[in-house]
Parts: sequence; structure tokens; C-alpha cells
Amino acid sequence: MLTYIIRRVLILIPMAFVICFLVYCGLELTPGDAVSHMINPDALGSMDPAQIEALRQSLGLGQPFYVRFWSWFSNLIQGNFGFSTNGGVPIANIIATRLPATLELASVALIFSTVIGCLLGILSALSRGSKADGALTVVGMLGVSIPEFFFGLVAILVFALNLGWFPVGGRSMPSYVTLWDRLPHLVLPSMVLSIMLTAGVMRYARSSMLDALSRDFIKTARSKGLPEWRVNLLHGFRVALTPVVVLIGFRLPVLIGGSVIIEQVFQWPGIGNEFISAVRSQDYPVVMTIALLSVMAVLVASLIVDVLTALIDPRVRLGE
Amino acid sequence: MTDVQDIAVSVRDLKTFFYTNNRCNKALNGVSFDIKKGKTLCIVGESGCGKSVTAASIMQLLPTLSRIEDGQIIYHAERGDIALHALDKNGKQMRRIRGAEIAMIFQDPMTALNPVYSVGYQIKETLKYHLKMTGRAAQQKAISLLKEMGIALPEKRVNDFPHRYSGGMRQRAMIAMAMACSPKVLIADEPTTALDVTIQAQIFELMDKLKRDHGTGIMLITHDMGVVAELADDVAVMYMGNIVEAGTVDEVLRNPSHPYTKALLASVPVLGRGRHQDIKAIRGSTPDPLNRPKGCQFADRCDFAIAQCQVMPPEFNMTKTHRVMCWRYQEVSAHG
Repeated sequence: MLTYIIRRVLILIPMAFVICFLVYCGLELTPGDAVSHMINPDALGSMDPAQIEALRQSLGLGQPFYVRFWSWFSNLIQGNFGFSTNGGVPIANIIATRLPATLELASVALIFSTVIGCLLGILSALSRGSKADGALTVVGMLGVSIPEFFFGLVAILVFALNLGWFPVGGRSMPSYVTLWDRLPHLVLPSMVLSIMLTAGVMRYARSSMLDALSRDFIKTARSKGLPEWRVNLLHGFRVALTPVVVLIGFRLPVLIGGSVIIEQVFQWPGIGNEFISAVRSQDYPVVMTIALLSVMAVLVASLIVDVLTALIDPRVRLGE
Repeated sequence: MTDVQDIAVSVRDLKTFFYTNNRCNKALNGVSFDIKKGKTLCIVGESGCGKSVTAASIMQLLPTLSRIEDGQIIYHAERGDIALHALDKNGKQMRRIRGAEIAMIFQDPMTALNPVYSVGYQIKETLKYHLKMTGRAAQQKAISLLKEMGIALPEKRVNDFPHRYSGGMRQRAMIAMAMACSPKVLIADEPTTALDVTIQAQIFELMDKLKRDHGTGIMLITHDMGVVAELADDVAVMYMGNIVEAGTVDEVLRNPSHPYTKALLASVPVLGRGRHQDIKAIRGSTPDPLNRPKGCQFADRCDFAIAQCQVMPPEFNMTKTHRVMCWRYQEVSAHG
């Protein structure tokens, strides 16, 4: 098992390098460069081309593509992400302040949707064809098909504006000290973020569970005289779990990259919100870093999924 | 019938019906037989005749849209007779018997073991629930069971997952699991259909050994007349939810008295007769179970059919053990 994990981690390194390169290429292909965003277009017209060229050279933009990539990359692996073109703040600082907020939201949503989604999915599968199953199916379809921002707006309208139970948005106030103070802010965004995830997990868990329950080994388990809960959970759900873990795992990067829409709706100061404002102000270094972060999240998530599925399903353990 | 002392399970006039699309399929329409201690009862018949439903009825493992409508299944336990048909399907009493006193092995060992648990774990599960055996004792027991079933290196293999076992080994593991609590009755539902012939012989040899060593009563479901000749002490031939002929293996194979039994025997190719031997297929096909013929179910395909066959024949006892459901059994029996 350990060698399996080590091998998977080692494969990550060249993959991460290639992806860094591709992201850099993507940036290279966009029209204009740093200089064209630094200088006011009106001023640009009246400037001496030699002056602009000198600025380019001083920023290192005159160098060939691969040299610039290498200088960016070597800085990157030393933990130097560069500076925001919008205010000159070190990007590392931006990430350090934004990432915890996003992770907080993501982990609550992830845990909630996994637990509730699996529970409802199992219930739904075990009571297949009943009224409860039908109701859960309808709710699940609604949850999957209605866009998040709609839920967000409805939640704000009902629970924040009309009922006044929770704050409209934001994450913190200057007077807050403990996590407990911030908790009311977390409820609405995390619940709204959970709805879609929960619905997806539930539908998936249900069909996966039904599939598992129809297999022969369930009959074997029952013929051994095991109690129903053990047959359903230890034999049925354990086997049904693999596809569910894959589904949840691949939602992980979406959550870490920041749920852009939810963070926007609730003014949550996370990565997603930062991403939006960076794109608007054409703050390329920040956009680059966040894109890279999302990509890394995908890689790490797939690693986690691989390790988890290998733990759950012995047939997955490659080359053992 | 035989001395009650020797009988492990007796089934009387068992009727199990399936309800699908608001129609009733009488899968078992009054079936009676005994599983004797230390003997093998073979149930033969073509696909869909109710062999597996019989097994599922005894185990109370019927699918949701079916139920035991009438009849009795009595398990003669040491602590007294238990009416299995009256027990709650997944109730505590039924679960105590299922797997411990009456165990079952299935047709396809490739899918009958749970892929995510080691073979040892799945055997130990049975030990834990029925014998309260855990830890080292259970591990030792699992190893010795695998060893008894002829698995090489059982100490190592016990921790392996089913996908690392071959088909024959998996069926051995299944039998090890079924035999874990030394059941009184072992129900084997076509245990070798999915295996190749050499493995088949090994598995049957193993089952025969278990029968002799443990005095386990075996109910073997098969459609292979060769297997019947080899293993059976008693035979019951099923057709469309009825036992059309039953008796000791000698009686049924040497003196088949139901046209269906005769036809089944005539349809078996015999080694050594060359490739031009006359294998008689049974003409026609099994009737639609939802649209059954009146009277004898086999009449439409039967060479002996007469007008009287429009009425369901009763069971005629030819000897104390040999019974047959055919109006013309005497002529059939006498006919070559």
C-alpha cells in the first residue's frame, strides 16, 4: 500500500511540471503583455516606442519564452509566486488570507454532503419504489438541476432578509474573536453549496447501492444468516462506496478552486471571489496562481481518490 | 416413508408463488420430499422448473415478489422440529438456522463472494455470528476449513481476496464458508455449472467426502444426469413446479416411470457410442408458466399422452420410496 502511494506521488511531480508549463503557455497566448496592462492606453499612445521597449527589457519580457518560463517556475518552486499587478501585494499573502476561507466553506460542504448524501442514498435504495424513495428522487433531481445561484438568492431572501436568522453575507467582522462568532456567516453559503453536492451524492449512492444489492454476494451474505444491517451496509454499501468516493473526490478541486458563484453571491472572501476580481482587473499573475492552484487541487484530489479506492476495493491495488 | 430419525428436512406440499405484473406464477405447485442425514438428494429438471425456488424457499431467501403460499418445511433439529415456513424471513430464529444448520452454496462462485473482503474475513463472519468465535481462534478455524477443502497454503491464502482465487478455488472457499458451522444440511444450487469438468469432479468428490465425514444431508440441484448417477442417493425429477418422479437413484434411473424422466435420460449423450448416436431431444418447449396447460404439465410434449392427461394426475406410489405423477406410469415403466 505504501509503495502504491509513493509511486502515485512520484507520478504527480512530472505531471505538475507539465501542467505548469501549459498554464504558462496559456498566459503567453493571451494578447498583450504585462506592460500593456501597466500603462494607461492614453499614455501608451504618446510614449516613445524605445521607452516601452526599455521597460519591457527591464522587466525581462524581451527574453525568449523558455527563459521566462524557467525564471517563473524556479521562483514558483521556491514559494515565490510573484506580486499582484494590482497593488503590488505578494500573491503568497493573498492566497494565505483567501485560502482558509475557501477551505472552511469547502470542508463543511463536503462533509455535510457526503454524510447526508450517502445516508439518503442508502435509505432511498433500501426503500426502492416507496413514497420516500419517490420524494427523494424528485428532491434530488431538483437539487441537481436548479443552479446554485438561484438557491443562494432564495436562501438570502428567506433566511437572511425575511426571517433574519443568518447574516446576508461576508465571513467576519472586526469584533469577532472565535470561530463561534463567525459560525452564523458560514451556515447559508455552506448549506447552499451542499445542496447540489448532496443531491448528486444521493443519486449516485442510490444507484450504486441498488447495483450492489442486486449482486450475488448479497444473497451469499444473507444465506450465511447475517443480520440485515450487516448485509446492507457491510456487504452492500461497502461495494457501492467506490463510485461514490470517485464522485466526491472529483468535486474536491471545484470546492478548493473556490466555488466562484457561491462566494460571489454571499460575498465570501475566498479564492473564488479573488479569482473574479483578478480577472476583472486583468491581474494576470494572480489569475495564473489561482489557476495553478486549481490544477494542483485536481491532481491532489485524483491522488486522494486513487488511494481511497485502493483502500476500499482491493482489486484496484495496481502492481501489488 | 423412511424413519423420521434419519430425516433432516422434510418438505410437504410446498407451494411458492411469484407475483409479477399482477399475475401469479405458481413456481412450486405442491412439492414434497425429504432431505436425509448423510445422504444426497439430487433435484433434476430443466431451467425454470422450480429447482432454485425450492432451495430459496427452504432458506427463506425468496425475492420480494414471491412467497410460500402453502405447505410445510420442517427442519428436524436436535432440539426439536422447527417449522421453517412459519418463521419470519429475516427474523432471529431463521438467521440462526440459516448458514449454521442449513447452509447453501451457489451456482457462480465468481460472483458469489464479496470482492472487497478477504476470503478469510468472509468465513470468519459466519464463525462470528453463529459460533461467537473471533480473533485467533476464528483465524485458525478458517485456515483449517480451507485446508480441509484442499486449498494449498491455507495460512497465506486465507488473507487473499477472492479475485486472486481461481474459479474452482472460489467454489472451495464457498464450501468452506458453508461448512464453517458443520451444518446438518447443505443445499448446493448447481455448484459446478460455472466450472470446467475436471474441477467439477473435484468439487463433487469434496462434497461426497463432507457427506461421509460430517453426516451432512445434501440437496444437490443439477440438470446433469451424469452427476445424478454419480452422486445421488435419492432423486427427485421436477417439471414445471412439480416433482413428477422421485425415488432412490436405482429406482429412478433403472426404472424411469414418468415420460419426462425417460426423455431426460434419452437425451444424454453416452461416451463410446460414437458421434452418430441418436440423442433424443425433448420435442417442444416448456410451457409459459403464466399460461399453463390444464392437467399434466408435460402432456403437450409427451409421447404417451392420452385424453385423461387433461386432468392433473395424482401421485402414484410404485414402491415405498418410488413415486410418480403420471396416469400411465405402468405402461411407461414397462415400455423398454
